[in-house]
Amino acid sequence: MHLILLDLPHTKRHQFYPLTLSRPVWELRCGITSLGEKLVAKTRPQQVSCFVPPYMAEAYREQTDWPVNDPASLSADDLLIVSGRVKADHLDLKSLQAGEAVFDRTGELLFTRLSGRDLDSLNTTSIDDLLSSIKESKSIIERDVPTWNYTWELVLANAEQLKRDFVAAQRHGIEGKVEEPSALRGARFDIYVAPGALVHPMVVIDAEHGPVYIDEGAEIHPFTRIEGPCYIGKNSILLGAKCREGTSIGPVCRVGGEIEEAIVHGHSNKYHDGFLGHAYVGEWVNLGAMTSNSDLKNDYSNVTVSLDGRNPIDTGSKKVGALIGDHTKTSIGTLFNTGAYVGAMAVIAATGKPLPKYIPSFAWFLEGVVTKGFGKRKLYETAQTVMGRRGREWSAAQQSMWDEIFNITAPERAEAVKKGRRTLRSQNA
Amino acid sequence: MSSVSDRVVAVTARVLKVDPENVKPEDNFTADLGAESVQSIELVAMFEEEFDIEMEEEAALSVETVGAATEFITKVCQEQGKL
Repeated sequence: MHLILLDLPHTKRHQFYPLTLSRPVWELRCGITSLGEKLVAKTRPQQVSCFVPPYMAEAYREQTDWPVNDPASLSADDLLIVSGRVKADHLDLKSLQAGEAVFDRTGELLFTRLSGRDLDSLNTTSIDDLLSSIKESKSIIERDVPTWNYTWELVLANAEQLKRDFVAAQRHGIEGKVEEPSALRGARFDIYVAPGALVHPMVVIDAEHGPVYIDEGAEIHPFTRIEGPCYIGKNSILLGAKCREGTSIGPVCRVGGEIEEAIVHGHSNKYHDGFLGHAYVGEWVNLGAMTSNSDLKNDYSNVTVSLDGRNPIDTGSKKVGALIGDHTKTSIGTLFNTGAYVGAMAVIAATGKPLPKYIPSFAWFLEGVVTKGFGKRKLYETAQTVMGRRGREWSAAQQSMWDEIFNITAPERAEAVKKGRRTLRSQNA
Repeated sequence: MSSVSDRVVAVTARVLKVDPENVKPEDNFTADLGAESVQSIELVAMFEEEFDIEMEEEAALSVETVGAATEFITKVCQEQGKL
């Protein structure tokens, strides 16, 4: 079977901004693995291909071995086409009758399985043509298949997903090095320290309420406390961190301070003290010392998040922290409000007060307002430097993708910049 | 209505908190008027607000003197139909 993962424009992918501005939705992390890894593990395909928004195709090709946006992949004998938003645990292929395709209520294909005979009667010239011809010729089922709809759902589900992923991983015990004196609580069966991982003396690993998975090459410095369920990614370093339950830290991160029920995608730094809770932090982010986010309102009401700077969305949860896009940097002492949306490639200077709940991508937030700052070229130079420090290349494809993201996010930024000018003018009057 | 030059001087004085009488066309924003990097960004924003224009930030930030700013802004205003 050939699995085709879909993350197409004009779907709900914008509901995962700012994280999906620069990656397909299935690359998002929940638990130990990404959504895509879970779909692959669930369906066990012989081959995987994918379709992503055209502007990120070239950059994504640099990160994956899968064919990207290749119509030739639509000519296999047995295709399973699945939206990257479908929850793998709930993907029930057996419930799918021959000739059926499952769509959601907005008309987005969630999954279908096509035989070679099915494909003979469908237009496979492009993925758009194929989807159109499926709608015309197949039995359309509208079904409430469980899907991921917003980034904060991943955060809120992270603790339980960590437990399920730990069971699925079937890894237990100490294969790396744990230096004495150590303090391991809970069942050893619920702790896994991978080969090459190093746990320094005076580290507490508390698996009493959930498993702790420390991946290859990770290094845990003294006075760190890790509460399960928790995942520490490959080659990440914890520096005296209070790493509380429900936290996933991707590869090559540096994390200190307090972190609770949050997901750090990878290659990001939160080196110093400061609280991060119920947050999703993208790649190549640097959070300055004492950067903190609120994840609970003082009146304990549901947290709202605005994905466009205008319309607040009720998350249905009393706890949601910040959503922070790739390459964003914060100064020391930055304070993010509850349910803050912080775009990608933003530069944030603290004001001493909680910042606005919506900061657009490529914003230079200075003196309490959104400005154009020094422009995107300066941001690209910084990105190049930051990636180079971790042996990664800022490629032409990356820059082309970010140029398009700059355009995609221009309207919200322009509005915020104008508002900022008016504020500055009144301050200077 | 004040000239572009007068308005540039007024904005500069307001943002950098200097006496407009002491702002000369040949003054360098950084060396003579003490603009720090954040204030340079603020100046660009305030010029855009004052003249209702959009300036390309790198080009705008490369302008070094008050007189050069007047020339640059005059050109942008003409291009964007604001004069």
